[in-house]
Amino acid sequence: MLEVKHITKYYGKNKAVDDLSFTVKNGEIFGLLGENGAGKTTTFRIIMGLIDASLGEVLLDGKKIDYNLTDKIGFVTEERSLLTKLTVFEQLKFYGVLKGLDERKVEKDIDKWLEKFEITDYKNRKIKELSKGNQQKVQFISAIMNNPKLLILDEPFTGLDPINVKMMKEAIYELQKKGASIIFSSHQMEYIEDFCEKLVILVKGHSIVRGSLKEIKESFGIKNIMLRGKDLPIEKIKKIKGVIDVTKVKGELEIKIEDKLVASKVFDIVKDYDITKYDVVEPTLNEIFIKKVGEYNE
Amino acid sequence: MSRKFLYLTKVSLKKKTNSKWFVITNIILAIAIILLLNINSVITFFGGDFDSKTTLIVVDNNTNSYDLLKANIKEYSKSLSNEEEEDIKLTVKESNKTKEELEKELEDDEIILELNNDNTEYLKAEVISNEKIDNMTYQILSQSLNATKTTIGMTINNIDPTVLSEISNPTTINRVVLNDNASVDENMSLIMGSVFPTIILPFFMLTLFLIQMVGGEICEEKTTRSMEIIISNVSPKIHLLSKILANNIFVILQGLLLIVYSVIGLLISTNMFKSGMSLPSDITSIYDSLVASGFIDKLIYVIPLTLILIILSFIAYSLVAGILASMTVNMEDFSQLQTPLVFISLGGYYLAIMAGMFNGSLLIRILSYVPFLSSFVSPSLYMMGEIGIIDIIISIIVLIAFIYLLIHFGIRVYKVGILNYSNEKIWSKFFKAFKSKDV
Repeated sequence: MLEVKHITKYYGKNKAVDDLSFTVKNGEIFGLLGENGAGKTTTFRIIMGLIDASLGEVLLDGKKIDYNLTDKIGFVTEERSLLTKLTVFEQLKFYGVLKGLDERKVEKDIDKWLEKFEITDYKNRKIKELSKGNQQKVQFISAIMNNPKLLILDEPFTGLDPINVKMMKEAIYELQKKGASIIFSSHQMEYIEDFCEKLVILVKGHSIVRGSLKEIKESFGIKNIMLRGKDLPIEKIKKIKGVIDVTKVKGELEIKIEDKLVASKVFDIVKDYDITKYDVVEPTLNEIFIKKVGEYNE
Repeated sequence: MSRKFLYLTKVSLKKKTNSKWFVITNIILAIAIILLLNINSVITFFGGDFDSKTTLIVVDNNTNSYDLLKANIKEYSKSLSNEEEEDIKLTVKESNKTKEELEKELEDDEIILELNNDNTEYLKAEVISNEKIDNMTYQILSQSLNATKTTIGMTINNIDPTVLSEISNPTTINRVVLNDNASVDENMSLIMGSVFPTIILPFFMLTLFLIQMVGGEICEEKTTRSMEIIISNVSPKIHLLSKILANNIFVILQGLLLIVYSVIGLLISTNMFKSGMSLPSDITSIYDSLVASGFIDKLIYVIPLTLILIILSFIAYSLVAGILASMTVNMEDFSQLQTPLVFISLGGYYLAIMAGMFNGSLLIRILSYVPFLSSFVSPSLYMMGEIGIIDIIISIIVLIAFIYLLIHFGIRVYKVGILNYSNEKIWSKFFKAFKSKDV
């Protein structure tokens, strides 16, 4: 279990991370969201022990993270962190041994990993000769080949096609089943919704939203009604108290309402019309993110 | 952690030695060194002829001094060009033909020397050749003619040769130096100007090579962002020290290879493979001068201390190169930042060559203790007798203390630098890191 306890990081007078706390239990996938420059990379570096927090501490299974524990951590950085002049085999062996694995065992295991991620043909090719997607696979393998207890994924699906995303997702779920704590960061909110049970949204180093995804969505209040029908009374709907906005999206009306109680008022108005769809849906994480970050920045 | 340190060192070293560029560079170096040491053979191969002999055809019209001139030429050939009698390249013969007849059939390797005298001069000479005469031959000819003229003059004026010899003999100077520690041989500065630069040039080159390699490797890991993964598994200190060790082993290996190429070149040059253990006269004469000046004796004492100084200097240079590289964002930045370091080593190289000009001043003595310069200057001053063994030991102690401080404080900068990808307020960041607590 990873415990991040009240960490604060100053760069001079700038506060990059402000009193951030969260816990990632074993077998849990945790989302860390934020705009560019929100403090995600600093948080990851503190967790990895690359930099010291000005205040607070980070514990993995109750122990302070140091170089004795980093062998149990896997880290996929946002940008490719590969030595481009090495071959795929040399790169994986290099990172594997640095993660404390036995050199000969790594050499044997590499074939297995390459096969699993369908890049066996590239074993002796240089990293710089690979496509972005294949480079990302190599980076991902290097992060998980030590069977980590904590896996940090910063934009892990960049440059991958849907088939490879699926392949990587399966590997992540596999690690989750094995009990790894996983921190996931991405600007693609659908991945976060897909993966994470809990999350934190950071703005300027400060956590503005935190908790389980379900709770966050429920407490957000705003809901959407997706409505399809003929000659719908748009102006009437707009006048209902509690309706925030009405927009047309791909032949449907998307009605944004303040809370779910407003949904029955909308239904009362539209029930006598020729409607083929009436669906009250939770807000997307994207909406929550934009609203909350926008409010904080104001 | 020590396993990871050794592994990082091994990977870094293997990356260099297994590179095709290492092989290509060494093939080029080997060929260049062997060719340089066999330059005479190379020039001969391309048409030059070091063994060609010149025939001097003497037409003695009325001086009757042919035999005397021939003897003088033989004497000056031996003394001026250090040649044994059988190797003298200027052969002399007398001809009864006229100058005009000889000119018509003159070959390129022949010189006509017409001797005359009149009431005003004891000896007048005309030298005729198809091409320009080489400097050495002309000197031998000129001095032999002067000596011949002097003898003719003595004979004509009835001067006793013993008296003339006493007049013209140079003054005997008995050189006594009371202080044993002082420079006892003024010829040493001449040797320092020619032999020493050749000896320390490879060290200077290897220093530059080392700075480039350490910086280049760290810059590469930074720019590819693989540094973050590496540093998340090994401490910055282990990372930096593994680079220092790997690159130092590499330059020492490269230095040894240069020695091997030189030995092979010398073996070929001396033709040892065919004709036994004799060195060519050029090398033996340099060697004799070195022995006579006490250079070799001193070299035997100073070699172990110089090697220690060189290795410690390599470590110091590579540490600074590594720390500077950590502060840069790309290779272009590092190229600029390393320039002062390159100039310091260049300064050390020139100071070593020009050490004799300082006449044992306090300044050069102090400079011989300064890290980065000491490995160049200290051995040079010791060879000249300007400093003693104890001064070299002081230089070593200063260098060790400097390396300790570099590791102690430099690693703080390194830890911050390797994760920094911005040039904004860079010096303020590093001064702050420098003052922060140890990592």
